[in-house]
Amino acid sequence: MKTNYRSMTIVSRIFVYLFLVILVVVTLIPVWMLIINATRSTVEIQQGISLLPSKYLISNYKILLSKGLDLPRGFLNSMTIAVLTTVITVYFAMLTAYGIVGYNFKGKKALYNTIIVLVMIPMQLSIIGFYQWMSKLGLTDSYASLILPSIASAGSVFFAKQYLDSIMIQDLIDAGRIDGATELGIFHRIMLPIAKPGMFTMGIFAFVASWNNFFNAFILITSRDKYTLPMLVQTLRGDVYRHEYGAIYLGLAASVVPIIIIYFLFSRYIVNGISMGAVKE
Amino acid sequence: MFKLKHHQYGYLFVAPFIIGFLVFGLYPVVNTIVLSFTDRTLMSSSYSFTGLRNFQLLFADKTFITAIKNTWQLWLMNFIPQMGIAFLLSIWFTNNRLKLRGVGVWRMIFYMPNLMMASAVAALFFSLFSFYGPVNQFLVRAGFLPEAIDFLRKPAVARGLVVFIQWWMWFGQTTILLMAAMTAISPSLYEAALVDGAGTIQMFLRITLPLIKPVLVYVLVTSLVGGMQMFDIPYLLTDGRGSPSNSILTNTINMYMKFHSSKGHIGAASAVGLVVFLMTSIVALLIFFLLREKHDQPAKAKR
Repeated sequence: MKTNYRSMTIVSRIFVYLFLVILVVVTLIPVWMLIINATRSTVEIQQGISLLPSKYLISNYKILLSKGLDLPRGFLNSMTIAVLTTVITVYFAMLTAYGIVGYNFKGKKALYNTIIVLVMIPMQLSIIGFYQWMSKLGLTDSYASLILPSIASAGSVFFAKQYLDSIMIQDLIDAGRIDGATELGIFHRIMLPIAKPGMFTMGIFAFVASWNNFFNAFILITSRDKYTLPMLVQTLRGDVYRHEYGAIYLGLAASVVPIIIIYFLFSRYIVNGISMGAVKE
Repeated sequence: MFKLKHHQYGYLFVAPFIIGFLVFGLYPVVNTIVLSFTDRTLMSSSYSFTGLRNFQLLFADKTFITAIKNTWQLWLMNFIPQMGIAFLLSIWFTNNRLKLRGVGVWRMIFYMPNLMMASAVAALFFSLFSFYGPVNQFLVRAGFLPEAIDFLRKPAVARGLVVFIQWWMWFGQTTILLMAAMTAISPSLYEAALVDGAGTIQMFLRITLPLIKPVLVYVLVTSLVGGMQMFDIPYLLTDGRGSPSNSILTNTINMYMKFHSSKGHIGAASAVGLVVFLMTSIVALLIFFLLREKHDQPAKAKR
């Protein structure tokens, strides 16, 4: 009876591992092909599938440039927006969350409930009203319209509040007050340093979200030299590149690889961060 | 005196958020509502209020209805298998008898697609499945197909691809969330159930499911809200108009097409946005409150 039970476990274990391996292949193949094809010439790509890199990375890059796709520029644009968005999102989310966690004021509960509801509302669908309002303010075709809204990022405040709840040390704050620190000083010099790991996790998510954001930039930005990477990716489907497969894959890979690198460096923070916002409801 | 000061500081700390929300969140919503009652275009500054005309036109418009149907279908078709796989994986990963190795590594790999740029992924699949693309090459050469197929002109294939990409991008995240919820359940509950003679299925239905319900609600609601705004993938997979034959035309593509039409009908586009906004918000909040309330009841009954 006992051996039967054990052998059944072994069989199911083998089955599970097999399933997992197949799933890993399904998960990785598209990304792998994208990166490999960026190093292959169009002729090679048309000759068949390969899972090994070739040596046409630089010539593909030259083709891209010769067709007028300014990859470095797009990279710089995306980077500028993503870095500023990240800093603003994290700072203001912490500020707001600290206000909610650290102080008792009237309407605090209502504010927090509003934030939870905001997480569940499809704000992107008000983009037309947003666009028209920004154009009234003269902020269309400007990065300000992409960056400034992150002052009020409900999802991040939600996350920051959960995090602060778990690390809040009231004694430290009281000690700071006795030492005569100002309230803002306590936030900057005591709270933020303690909250660094959480801020880092939040920052990664804010960065990735901004880096990948296509829709808002697509609606708001019109000048070619202000295009972000996802917008350049969109132009890759145009006729100019019809038969330049190698170059297309390179353009796609360039926008995806930085995120893959970030992921491999910080996957622990990221994977742990995902459940932090949700599990402790 | 000291206490009073605290109150004031609380307001000070949350003030930037509130101002930011009013300016960049709430006002745009109000503005969208106002615009949806006008015939405003981007081309002229004069406009008039037309009452409910935009909405009457919308509901008489087959394209709009198709877009709503499509969006629901595309979301459901990826959400159900996504939940299925995520349940399977998270049960296996947290199973004490299986004791799988490298859970962290598997999980890390499965989550990776979620961070990929959706527009790049869509462009990738567009390229892979194009007429001269590698998928056709492979299938023809290996003898599976007599001749190349124009995959992206087949509604079923286009839909299937959108669903697959969405599933591929999200099943890892859902797995991580379900796993976190399952590992948070105290093992003593299962031990007690085992002593009482409960079977695996019974334990899953009576212990696991009720206890992970808050996370299930969170996954359901956030996935729904994201799914109803689906844009990047169906937009970039084909021609940006929901082709072939409107099979992957979603709400947001529909809204964008009105916005981007030759005159820029922002009044009509706002009406699309508003209707979908209301539909999604109502369903999301309903799910949230309905499922949440039921969750509280057994606890009260016990007391």
